[in-house]
Amino acid sequence: MNAPAPFATDAVMNDPVGALLIAVAAQDRAAFKTIYSDTSAKLMGVLLRILGTRAEAEDALQEVFTRVWLRAGRYDPTRGAGITWLVAMARNHAIDRIRARKPEQSDDDAVALVVDTAPRAETRLIAAGEARRVTACFDTLEPDRAAAVRGAYLDGQSYNDLADRYGVPINTMRTWLRRALLKLKECLEQ
Amino acid sequence: MTDAPDLTPAEADDMLAAEYVLGVLDLPERMAAEARLKTDADFAAMVVAWEAHLAGLNDSFEDVAPSAAVFAGVEARLFPVAPKRRWTVWLGGAVAAGVVALAVIVTLPQPGPAPEVVADLSAQDQGLVYRAAYSDGQLQVTRVSGTRPGAGQDHELWIIAPGAAPVSLGLLQDETLRVNTPRPAAGWVLAVSVEPEGGSTTGAPTGPVIMTAEISA
Repeated sequence: MNAPAPFATDAVMNDPVGALLIAVAAQDRAAFKTIYSDTSAKLMGVLLRILGTRAEAEDALQEVFTRVWLRAGRYDPTRGAGITWLVAMARNHAIDRIRARKPEQSDDDAVALVVDTAPRAETRLIAAGEARRVTACFDTLEPDRAAAVRGAYLDGQSYNDLADRYGVPINTMRTWLRRALLKLKECLEQ
Repeated sequence: MTDAPDLTPAEADDMLAAEYVLGVLDLPERMAAEARLKTDADFAAMVVAWEAHLAGLNDSFEDVAPSAAVFAGVEARLFPVAPKRRWTVWLGGAVAAGVVALAVIVTLPQPGPAPEVVADLSAQDQGLVYRAAYSDGQLQVTRVSGTRPGAGQDHELWIIAPGAAPVSLGLLQDETLRVNTPRPAAGWVLAVSVEPEGGSTTGAPTGPVIMTAEISA
């Protein structure tokens, strides 16, 4: 392999997934296999929660890891942890898929997901590191707005879905959510 | 936005970035945000910042083991087993003509560090040619003749592994497009489509595919 870039040592020390991405960008197939075994269950969890069925989640997972190999060179370790980059890629792909679905199908799925996963969203927040910080900041929001932000992020709900769920017009939901996001940002940047 | 007249343009962009990361936008809004992401570095930085802000929620996604077939599928798409070459036949001939081959090699110019051309994409009726070369971990695609598409449009480059969906490698502008990527295997296909300015927002080509070329060995 080529001489490691100057940041590689730091990445290995602090961010094993980021270090693997750098190796994958250098066409290291063993690293690709390792990054798959280390992160595929997490990304499968993301895709299954947003897409709702195992078959579609596995199809999406195959697409996501194909892109990981082809796009690893775009990962910039100075801009964030490797796992954050991977989860963002999986979430974006899943949300692109559900937004492109026919409206009636997405509504049905959204309802099913609310019923299925809402309790987990409340109970599964692990208080560790960044997660603890986010949890503390979510606690400063009104509970239903915090739940709306979590529902959007974790379940891929659109403004449409959220407006239906809370029985308010879309513009009201947009205003609620934007205020919640601004408050969250202020808290996280303190 | 109508409901928040007090936002400055930068604040409105930051909210849009948050809404994009959160995933609440409907399809047209999301497509518009993705198009901007490709051309607007400030907006892209806001998106990265929001991804970091909300990454603390990622622990709430539970691990779910995928079936073993998934990774096999990924490998089959990315690393198709190369068809058997006639390499051994060539080799036999080369050994038989060893002395002659050696003499020829000595007089040939040394291969320099020049990028290796892996594919030429051309749309002859438009006089348009893109040349794809590979060197040093980088695929470099340059327009060698013809012009950009008309106003409001861009050429987008795609790579297609056998049996896989096209993956965008980026927009072809006046300067060379450089993509850090493993060398694509022979038999993979490069394609250029005409897209709305900023590129496809669906993750797949939406406009006409005007040229394709197979990667050479």
